[in-house]
This record gives sequence, structure tokens and C-alpha cells, in this order.
Amino acid sequence: MGGNNKIVAFCCENSACAAADRAGKIRLYYPDNVRVIRVPCAGRVDVLHILKAFEKGADGVLVMGCQEEACRHLTGNTRARERVKYAEILLKESGIDGERVRMVNLAPEMAHKFAQEVSEMTERLKGLGPTPIKNGGPQR
Amino acid sequence: MQVKIGIFLCDCGGSLRNIDFPKIRGNLEKLEGVAFVDISHNLCLEEGGKALASRILSEDINRVVIAACSPELCEHNFMRLLESLRLNPNFLSIANIREQCSWAHKEDVTGKALELLRMAINKARLLQPLERKEVPVNQEVLVVGGGFSGMESTLELSQLGLRATLVEKGSALGGKLSELEGFYGLGASPKEMLGSMTRAIEEGKNIEVLTSAEVTRVEGEVGNFTVRIRRGGEEFPRSFGAIIFATGYRAGILPRDFELRPSVNIISQRNLIEILQAPEKLERKPETIGFILDVSDESSRLATLLVLNNALAVKEKWGSEAYVFCRNLKVDSDGAEKLYREARATGIAFLKFEKKPQISEEDGRVKVEAKDVLLGEEISLSCDILVVEEKGLPPEGTEALSSILNIGLDSQGFYQNENVYLYPVDSGRKGIFLVGACRGDLDISRASMDVASAVMGVCELLASGKAIVEAEKVRVDPDKCRACLTCIRVCPHGAIRLVRVNTEKEVAQIYDLACEGCGICAAICPAKAIDFEGYTDEQILAEVEAIGE
Repeated sequence: MGGNNKIVAFCCENSACAAADRAGKIRLYYPDNVRVIRVPCAGRVDVLHILKAFEKGADGVLVMGCQEEACRHLTGNTRARERVKYAEILLKESGIDGERVRMVNLAPEMAHKFAQEVSEMTERLKGLGPTPIKNGGPQR
Repeated sequence: MQVKIGIFLCDCGGSLRNIDFPKIRGNLEKLEGVAFVDISHNLCLEEGGKALASRILSEDINRVVIAACSPELCEHNFMRLLESLRLNPNFLSIANIREQCSWAHKEDVTGKALELLRMAINKARLLQPLERKEVPVNQEVLVVGGGFSGMESTLELSQLGLRATLVEKGSALGGKLSELEGFYGLGASPKEMLGSMTRAIEEGKNIEVLTSAEVTRVEGEVGNFTVRIRRGGEEFPRSFGAIIFATGYRAGILPRDFELRPSVNIISQRNLIEILQAPEKLERKPETIGFILDVSDESSRLATLLVLNNALAVKEKWGSEAYVFCRNLKVDSDGAEKLYREARATGIAFLKFEKKPQISEEDGRVKVEAKDVLLGEEISLSCDILVVEEKGLPPEGTEALSSILNIGLDSQGFYQNENVYLYPVDSGRKGIFLVGACRGDLDISRASMDVASAVMGVCELLASGKAIVEAEKVRVDPDKCRACLTCIRVCPHGAIRLVRVNTEKEVAQIYDLACEGCGICAAICPAKAIDFEGYTDEQILAEVEAIGE
């Protein structure tokens, strides 16, 4: 269903993890190419983690944290957003489409949004194809 | 110590049919360091747990990987189980193959489950033991603000056997309670309430009251705050385990929004209450009184309650005609709906406007012109007195105190709670609670709810006199730390401080009890000096690594 494109989703355990659990609970079938990595807060996700994910074979990365202004740790989600932006710039500089990384804000109840974001990213990745890293490095 | 991993696969009573468990077992058994792979049907039940325990003991493994349901459901139980087996609870890694795998997809997901397991195994290899230790906490509680919320907090704390110190800026207790005229619809009058509360505080055990005193400085963390209190020219330090702020609100009328100056005929709610309490000041009884709400924005709960109360009071005491101009009446506070119905029944008229009413003074009377959107008519009312809405504003000193405490303020200048939806009375810092009107627009019944939850929070932290923490879950490497203060600046919970390790070097140190474990510091540290056990860079990257395999 998801094809060969891998998505790594760094999920905040206060919101996104619960949303992902809920999506399963209510059987919202979404593409099976997503791998959730549980983090204590989206603010724990470093640019390094995002870039390494691409290096290790991910085609897309989602960073999922709490709703704006409602972060369990106050500023974690805004920091994550900034880092995602920065990762986007670094990716573009290395010849990888910035669209491949995305910050998502959701509440623990928003299972639909979780499933939707994963599906959207999958669609986007189908258009973009595998990352240049897999074909022996980016072509400039 | 060589890593020896035991893997338990749970098929949830055989219900996860789209995962081929024997295939996964065959795949994982070959991995390095894996002692065994067990398939269970019910790890969460007693028999499953017993089987798991006996397997762990007989094989003498030191890392446990469990593939089962969401860690949110089972992690805690498995950790307790490991603890009972004298295995460090941090040696547990869980792969969620139910909610995020089997249930979420229709097709066969053996491949995904295998990958999730590999992620968990990779992480398990790197897990380090975490020691749990007891930390003593100070059981004294400081309550700041002697209004309703502060007094109520003090009383409840003393009933629960905790020592409370109540600090009030003014010379007497009571706050807004002593200024209110009546609580229609709430039974007791504010005066009676204040009287009985003051008596209870005087008679109460474990209570110390400091009036005309102020908090000037707060240092330290939960369990051990050092607070400097200024009283009558002298300043002295005191130690507390937790602090409850109940600094209340300041009433303000908003001349900017009305573009008119308060005069004899245009008065504030407070003025009206003064007149109600001393009617002899009035030359003659006012026949028509207008009230106005919602001019600046949607009115607050406090303002609405006050207007309803006062409109009923003038009706009862003077028999005057009362008109309330409002945009949308907010009656969501306790008893407000009843009060509104009562007001309607006694003949108070409510006029709903959308455009700001025109207010002018002529011949000693006030003329209010507005379009009532329900009647669809222009209304012109000439009244003896116009009572202007009152807004709850943050009390003076809130800003100064917020910077001392390292607690944010909201857009209106009130204390901002940690997360308004999840933790209404918690501040960003553990052990500091915010109750009542100081955290925004709250009525008295909500304030008592706040007090109850804050007191419960305090009890949870201090009641046993000690706290159990996972020592050095988040750890600063003193050799790498350059004391750049970045972590101290970003920590949302104020849990990091600078300590001197030897004579020439100061490094950041994380206070285990105050740390809420978000890992923001670990991500931001430029020197990568902070490690968050369970979520270290290596551990996260090890999980990522499994994806490409």
C-alpha cells in the first residue's frame, strides 16, 4: 500500500504517539511505510536525527508534536518547527527536495490527521521517487 | 557486561492475524546477542506475566524486548515486573505491533512488525541502567495571596496536615471578598464567608499568617525552594517544598474603550458597591440605572457575574429600573444562568447590541444610544447612573514575580499555566502552582476547583516527605559542558542550574526532581554534553538505523 518509500515519523509521546495509537484502534487504514519513533517531546528531535534518517534510507520524515500553543513542554513544538525548517534548508542545499520533511502539529485525539498526514506524505513521495541518496548520492 | 536480549512476542490472544509470528521468530533468533524469542498470547495477563518472569530468570537475560500493544498501555506494568525481578526497569524496549502495525493496516504486515522489532532491539542494546533514589522534600508550603483562593488553599493544606504559610501583601486577609456586596445565587454572603474563613485560619493548626509581607525572591527547585520574604523593612529567607500562588486580580475599568471619563453619573462597579454599602452618600435614589458590558471585547466571567449581582442588588435595595447593555452574555460560570433568569424575572431588561453604543452626558443624566439587534430598533435610554463594566486585570507585580519565577505570562498579562488544557493549575515549574484569578478570568466556583487540584498536587509531591526520582536520567557531561547557559535558558521547567564542580569550572546540572524529561536541552546543547537516557542520540539513531536494513 505504501510502496517502497519509507517514512520516519518522530512522534511526541504526549500527542502524536497517542494519535497514532488511536488511528490503529479505530482502524483508519493508512500506508504501512511509516515507522514511528517515539520521543518524549518533539523538542527532543534534532536536525541531526532528521538528516541521519535520510542517510539511513528514509525517503520522507515527519516530525509530529503537540498543537501550537499547547505543547506539553511549552516550547518543544515551536523548537521542533524551527529545526524542521533548518533541516529543509540543509536538505535543499544537498540536492534533496525540502518537501520530504514536514512538521505536523496534532492533538492526541487527532487520529484522522495522523493518517491523513502519512497518506499525504506517501503520495508526495510517490511523485518525488526515492531519495537521491539511494541512487548513489544527489545529482546537482 | 555482555548484552543478552530476551524477546517476547505477544499476539494479543491470537487476534493479530496479519502478522506471521513464527516467521518473525525465525528471523530474529539469528541476530547477535538474542538469547531467545518467545511467542506468548497474553503477556498482559497474570499467567503471561508469570511465564515472562520465569523465562527472564531462567535465561538470565539483561535486556527485554517486548512486541505487544502500545507502550502507553503496557510499559508501566512491564517496568514494574522487571523491577520485581531485580532487573533495571530501564532495560526494557517495546515495539508497538498492535495499534501502530497490525490494527492500522489491512494487508500482511509481518515485514513492518519485523522492522519495528529490529528498531526496538537496536535500542535495547544501548540501554543503560537507571538508578532510582529517594530525595527528601520539605513539607512546608507557601501560599501567596490572602484572598479567597489563598485562604481556601491554606485551610485545605492544614486539614491535610501540611504546614502552610500564608503571605498577604495587604494588612488584612480577604482580598476581593471584603469588597463584594453580595453573591446572589451563591448562598452565603461574602462577609459571612470571609468571617468564617478568617476564624478557621486563626484556629487552624499548622498555619502561619504573614500580613503586609511580600515575596521578593524565589530560588531552588521543588522540594526545596528558598524564598525571601520582605516584611516591615526586613527581609528574611524561608524554605518551602512547594508554592501556591493565589495573587488574584485587579479590577480595572477601561476608559480607553469607552472614551469617556468617569464622572458622578458614570461610575465603576466598585463605586456602585460603595454606594450600595453607604446609601446615605446618595442625594436621591436613582430611578434608572444602566449597566454596560462587552464594549472592549467579549466580557469576562467575572464582569458578567458582577453586573448580574449588582443589577439584582439595585433592584432589591432601591427598586430602580435596571437595563443591561451587552453583546453576548457569558453565563457559563457556576450559577450564572440561574442568576440571569432571576434577573429577567425581576424585570431587568437585557439589550443586545452589536455596534458599540453611543454614550453622552446631558443635564446630569447619561444617554445611551444603541441598536438592539433582537428588536431591530434604535434604543435611546436616559439613565441616572451608568455603571461601566469592570475587567479583571493581573495584579501589580505579576510581571516582576513572573520573571523571578521564570513563569510565562499570557497575552493579557496573567500567569500562563504549563498547558492550559492538560495541567490547569501547574506552572511550567514543578512545585509551583497557580490558582484562582491570577491565572486569568475565573469565578469563585472555578477558583475552589483550582484550589482543590493544586492542593492535591502539593500532597502528591510532599505528603510522604520524600520523592523517588530516576537519578541522572538526563545527565550533563561535566567535561563537555562549556557553561554556555543555553540549556538553562531553554529549559521550560526551570530544572537546570549552574554548579561549581571544582575551583575554576562551573557546569550545568539537571535537578532530577524538577526535570520533566522533555529532552529539549539534549537536542539544543551545542557541545552535545547532555545525554537523555532512553532517548540519547545514539539510541534514536540506532532505531533509525533499523529502517534501512
